[in-house]
Amino acid sequence: MNTYWWLIRREFWENRAIWLIPAVLGGLLVLAALFGRVEFIAHNSPLQGRVFGGVVLFAFGATFFAVMSIYATWYLLDCLYADRKDRSVLFWKSLPISDTATVLCKLATALLVIPLVYFAAADLTTLMMAFIVSIRASSTVGSSLWQSDLWLQLQVLWLYLIITSAIWYLPIAAWLLIVSAWAKRGVMLWSILPPLALFLAERWFLGTHIVGDQLWERLVGFGRLAFNGHPGAGSWVSTTVDNNVVTTPAGIWNFLNVEGFFSSPETWIGVAVGVVLIVCAIQLRLRRTEI
Amino acid sequence: MPPLIEARDLTKKYGAHVALDGVNFAVEAGRIVGLIGPNGAGKTSALRALLGLTAYQGHLQVLGHEPFGERTALMNDACFIADVAVLPPWLRVDQAIDFVAGVHPRFRRDRALSLLAKTQIAGKRRIRELSKGMKTQVHLALTMAIDAKLLVLDEPTLGLDILARRAFYDALVNDYMDETRTILITTHQVEEIENLLTDVIFIDKGRIVLDCSVEGIATRYAAVTVAADQLEAARAQRPFYERRLLGKVVLYFEHPDRDKLARYGELHAPSVSDLFVAKLSGEAQ
Repeated sequence: MNTYWWLIRREFWENRAIWLIPAVLGGLLVLAALFGRVEFIAHNSPLQGRVFGGVVLFAFGATFFAVMSIYATWYLLDCLYADRKDRSVLFWKSLPISDTATVLCKLATALLVIPLVYFAAADLTTLMMAFIVSIRASSTVGSSLWQSDLWLQLQVLWLYLIITSAIWYLPIAAWLLIVSAWAKRGVMLWSILPPLALFLAERWFLGTHIVGDQLWERLVGFGRLAFNGHPGAGSWVSTTVDNNVVTTPAGIWNFLNVEGFFSSPETWIGVAVGVVLIVCAIQLRLRRTEI
Repeated sequence: MPPLIEARDLTKKYGAHVALDGVNFAVEAGRIVGLIGPNGAGKTSALRALLGLTAYQGHLQVLGHEPFGERTALMNDACFIADVAVLPPWLRVDQAIDFVAGVHPRFRRDRALSLLAKTQIAGKRRIRELSKGMKTQVHLALTMAIDAKLLVLDEPTLGLDILARRAFYDALVNDYMDETRTILITTHQVEEIENLLTDVIFIDKGRIVLDCSVEGIATRYAAVTVAADQLEAARAQRPFYERRLLGKVVLYFEHPDRDKLARYGELHAPSVSDLFVAKLSGEAQ
């Protein structure tokens, strides 16, 4: 267990971007709150205030998670490649650390540690933003950002997002680790080319598109499965803000499709494929040293 | 007691290229063994196999472990420095000490710190800011602070200047070596380590050419410097290599008949580097 703790710490030493990027992003958003326009929307009804607060708070968090997903992808491609390129893999392998522990720590860093760091940064930034805006703006704008049940619901939303996306994207993360452990150069290209080749080959030679559908579903199908996209009775609300009709979930509890996500065979087939790919990544790490 | 390292029929192929061709050798505890060969002879392949960094064919036991399958357990008792400059460039010296102390059960932090205190290297410096010589000092301090039974060094002084090379080997002999430890060194600069070694293994084209203790060389081999008029007679004794030097010829013999050879000139034991050249060039002759 001790080894795992040191391996995770090591990732923070090596990849200072893990906390530097969210820190810079948070700083920029706080600056925007300090000097940007805050009296942007006038709202009169409690419903409008609630929708406005929800949209603003959500947008702040979503910005962090969007940046995070790009960084985590890059991290996964680089993490088993960089030390082979600069040959420091020979130093790491001179220590009593198994390749399994190394690969699992990189995976956990990408799917859990990095998202949690961004989550903390998003919360901190949102708090500061809400504080600044409520001082600068009129009371209705400010007060719409301080709704404790809205905050609580968003925390649940982000944690649910972290856990379910880690499960859903496991096979993709594992594939990126395989490329990272294997490629001699051009990790970015190698991550895209084989799936693309498979997709094209199937189209040309068989005329079908099963591979393409499956890959596409894995990339974009997450939101549809993890959340209730169809406004059911009373679970979504619409209101007019600045002449635009905005429809948002009335509350988080009906929006999260917990049961649907965890009972879907798609979820667990993905996990099974992910586990197989992780075993492959570990085997490659065992056999590949420097480039 | 079984030997520390035992290789039987060790073979490593890269596609059609045979890097190690059924190699047999053993290393006993307490020895300093030089694995010596020209570039591309299979030294690095042999070390990679010993350290569990690559799969291989044949039988191999290192400290009672099968290296490839049990590298993690092996690295509790063995450590290695592969080349200069494999410490990660982004790592700080104090982080390196913290990390190794955190993951290695046999690492002694106080020893690493006292070794580093002898150098001019501050703990807050990053590896990338250090000179090659300093990097080697840091790596050696980390490695010597590990209470390991086997230390493997692969071209540990490549690219270092003479001062740094001398400092490296002096530290190794004075501060590290004792009867409980075993060192295996590969190098192609034989002259530099020949006074250090207790045993030598010559390797060429994936095969072992010689496996002998350094004392053994003096009894097993002899070199005779022969004047020109005696040359034909001396050649009849079947030297395995001859070398022309300023009008004289030095003939090298294995299992020499010393009484007979003394008639042609003065006998002396060849140095490790001379023997290395003689053996490898002799094969070619």
